[in-house]
Amino acid sequence: MATVSLDPSTATEVLRPGSEQEAIAAFGDGKDVLVVGGGTIVMPELTYRRLQPTRALLLKDAGLAGVTRDGSRVTIGATTPIEELVGLPAPIGPCAANIADVEIRSQATVAGNLCAGEGYEAPRGDLQGAFLAVGATVRSAGEGGIREEPLEDFLSKRRERLALSISYDEPSAGAFAGLDRPHTHDFTALAVSGARSADGTIRLAATGVGGWGVRLPSAEAEVAEIHPRVIDWGHVPRSAGDDPDGTAALQDVTLHDDAIASAWYRAKVLPVLVRRVLTEMKESA
Amino acid sequence: MKVVGARIPRYDGVAHVTGRTTYVDDVRVPGTLWVKALRSPHHHAGITKLDTSKAEAMDGVHAVITWQDVPLLVYGHLSALGIPADEPLLAKDDARYMGQPIALVAAENEDLAAEAVSRIDVEFEERPALTDVRQAFDAGAPEAHHEGNWYKHFEDEMDRRQIRKGDIEWAFDNADTIVQGVYRPAAIEHCPVETQVCQVVPEPSGRLTIYSCTQALYFSMGVVAAHLQVPLNKLKVVGGTTGGGFGGKNDTATETVCSLLAMKSGRPVKWRWTREEEFLCSSTRAPWHMEIADAVTKDGWILGRKMLTLHDAGAYSRFSPYGVTKHSFHHTGAYTIPNLQFDGYVVYTNRVPTTSMRGFGVTSISFAVETHMSRVADVLGIDPYEIRLKNANRIGDTSPNGIVYTDPSTVSTIQVIAESTGHELPAEYRTMTNEPREGEWRPEHLVAQVGNPEEH
Amino acid sequence: MNLTVNGTRHEIESPLLTPLLDVLREELGITGAKAGCHQGGCGACTVLIDGEPRRSCLMPVGYADGGEITTVEGLGTPDDLSRIQQAFIHHYAAQCGYCTSGMLLAGQAYIDRGGTGDEEAIQTALGGHVCRCTGYSKIVEAVAAAARGDSFDVTETAVGKHTTMATGGAE
Repeated sequence: MATVSLDPSTATEVLRPGSEQEAIAAFGDGKDVLVVGGGTIVMPELTYRRLQPTRALLLKDAGLAGVTRDGSRVTIGATTPIEELVGLPAPIGPCAANIADVEIRSQATVAGNLCAGEGYEAPRGDLQGAFLAVGATVRSAGEGGIREEPLEDFLSKRRERLALSISYDEPSAGAFAGLDRPHTHDFTALAVSGARSADGTIRLAATGVGGWGVRLPSAEAEVAEIHPRVIDWGHVPRSAGDDPDGTAALQDVTLHDDAIASAWYRAKVLPVLVRRVLTEMKESA
Repeated sequence: MKVVGARIPRYDGVAHVTGRTTYVDDVRVPGTLWVKALRSPHHHAGITKLDTSKAEAMDGVHAVITWQDVPLLVYGHLSALGIPADEPLLAKDDARYMGQPIALVAAENEDLAAEAVSRIDVEFEERPALTDVRQAFDAGAPEAHHEGNWYKHFEDEMDRRQIRKGDIEWAFDNADTIVQGVYRPAAIEHCPVETQVCQVVPEPSGRLTIYSCTQALYFSMGVVAAHLQVPLNKLKVVGGTTGGGFGGKNDTATETVCSLLAMKSGRPVKWRWTREEEFLCSSTRAPWHMEIADAVTKDGWILGRKMLTLHDAGAYSRFSPYGVTKHSFHHTGAYTIPNLQFDGYVVYTNRVPTTSMRGFGVTSISFAVETHMSRVADVLGIDPYEIRLKNANRIGDTSPNGIVYTDPSTVSTIQVIAESTGHELPAEYRTMTNEPREGEWRPEHLVAQVGNPEEH
Repeated sequence: MNLTVNGTRHEIESPLLTPLLDVLREELGITGAKAGCHQGGCGACTVLIDGEPRRSCLMPVGYADGGEITTVEGLGTPDDLSRIQQAFIHHYAAQCGYCTSGMLLAGQAYIDRGGTGDEEAIQTALGGHVCRCTGYSKIVEAVAAAARGDSFDVTETAVGKHTTMATGGAE
């Protein structure tokens, strides 16, 4: 019968570490090894022959999954299925729920999503925005050993590192606003995540704005100006004129055309999503 | 009637729900080779070199075919309807759409087949591509097709499907206003859950057994026999089980080349398109460009219609002239318009050839006609239900191509819609029937063109 | 590695990175799960792994090591149809049938998790499954009927008793 299996003589060496230490050792410096989390991003690349690795790391049995709490600090293991995040508060919960469907979310891993490449002009890695907004740090292994660093620093090097866990302090409020078509399997064209930490600082981040998820410092600065951190939200008299219109966010991104949406369209929508996120967080004050 | 209205269980219902339905991809024949295609990466290019020797030399590759292996390279699938052949089974001198198949490989497994394709030595000379039907008629437009940019073989070698009825000049001279509209439905992917797939087994008897997902078994059989130049009794086509087609599995897209590979290798072969091939290279419902101008009176009579249709056939004719012909017959929709000027062109572009899809040619015109009726109603300030009822087909009216309506259902359908949406109709519209026109529903401008059934 | 499919244990020879879908179809000849896209986009490949619905085209077979796989063939046979299979027949929830395997397994898993006849919940549970033929409504009705525990008379369809061509059509 016809077979689709790989020619055994060039088959990839598959490693199945059974613990974090084994995974780190197998990953080494990350060169020449393909990391497989759930497989939802990587398997089609193998099937369509766009990836032909010499070594592959199957991570799911390395004990890297699970959500733990230490006070308000949440730590999520790298291979935790995305479905386990769905009930968490915004922005993370709604962001996770917006990804694909329940079957894919149950197979896909949090770190796999964070480490997604840019993928044929289609944005992936929706969770990057939500975790940037909550000020997450990533513990990873690779060249130079294990280290923990802010997610924004990790993202630029994500393809060279083995993510082990993601940690963040639970925000006091959060919101997620995504633009996508009403179909389970469309890629999110654009999404904004926001979170307000205990001291009142607002963090905003976006995905679908080219490359990978980014913070929106100009939009954050605009909010901070109008609503200084030290003031308790509940006591600040607000009128429509006080609200930022979200256009400052356009300074923080280089928008692009792709099959999902044009740069022009994204430029129209980004400020709207910023406003929605800010409004939703205000209303939960 | 014995079947309509009967409650009969699906004959394949039990098989579907137990996973026992055998689709083409489920057929298991030991020794089957996997097929992969070399496809044009360019929208439009001359093929200046094609050397398959390195692919053929690979261990595990059992056959490679190009245009040279095809006994009858160019065969018109609808030549019986007068549509001449224009499309080579495999590209010879040039590639006219991105994805056009140039060569195929049959190998021991999918990976080997793909590797062999990458070792085919092919060189191109890119040419300008035509992708917008509106530019097809410009001097200096890229030449998408060897016969020029539009089909020229309607009856009497006309270069368009043309319908003329009544006196269009009179209609436009006597109109109170002209209402224009442009309608451009986009291409649509059939996207069945089962992609194109075919399995061919060469039998010791010399026959070929072809497991096909075609929607048109006898039609495909004829196409294969013609390309292979073999009598029909050499082919045993096993079909009737399709994982969705919707008009996209009429093109006989896989059966002939798989037959050639099976014959050349002496082994069973299977070609299953990937979902990416399905999206990028399979034929679609055509995009259309339609322009309508209606000559209307202020009380809502449509005196005449001028229409121009540009149908995007893609790189080759396939069934497009037939689709445009059907389209032309329906360009007044469910309504009677006595004076008509219709011109429909089959335009070639350097895009994937388009094909049938549910309501081929008619779905597009229905969209345009209905939208336009609402536009006319809007311009005149007339209720959109009433304007439709006023101009509705009645017994004795004729279609654009002269068919006499003996029992048209426009009136009753619109009345039912009005009722179910809670739209109040004035009494004379509520009680209207499809009986031959009389009185106020038979104005002068309709008298000459429409008559009673006995007159025809 | 090994896996158990519909109660039968198999030793697997395919490389560990081979998609489970291809191991089932090509190595084991179990063809109920379909290859609609090999990208996880259509749901035709869904099987149950230890009772949970998963895309077999996205799963390296190594991840299924030791697992219990249920394919559509394992839900029931023509002589012993499960409730959800009967529901699909009764409600005409299959046309071409290509998406049916995935829909049935996702539907069964939904019911096994306590799913009810709530149409929105069914749509969410089956949200990863594409059907190009039916327009989905009869599939949702069939899953709802099975979730409610409806029983089905095999001489009837959802709209009435069977008639045959011999006995005539419209009553």
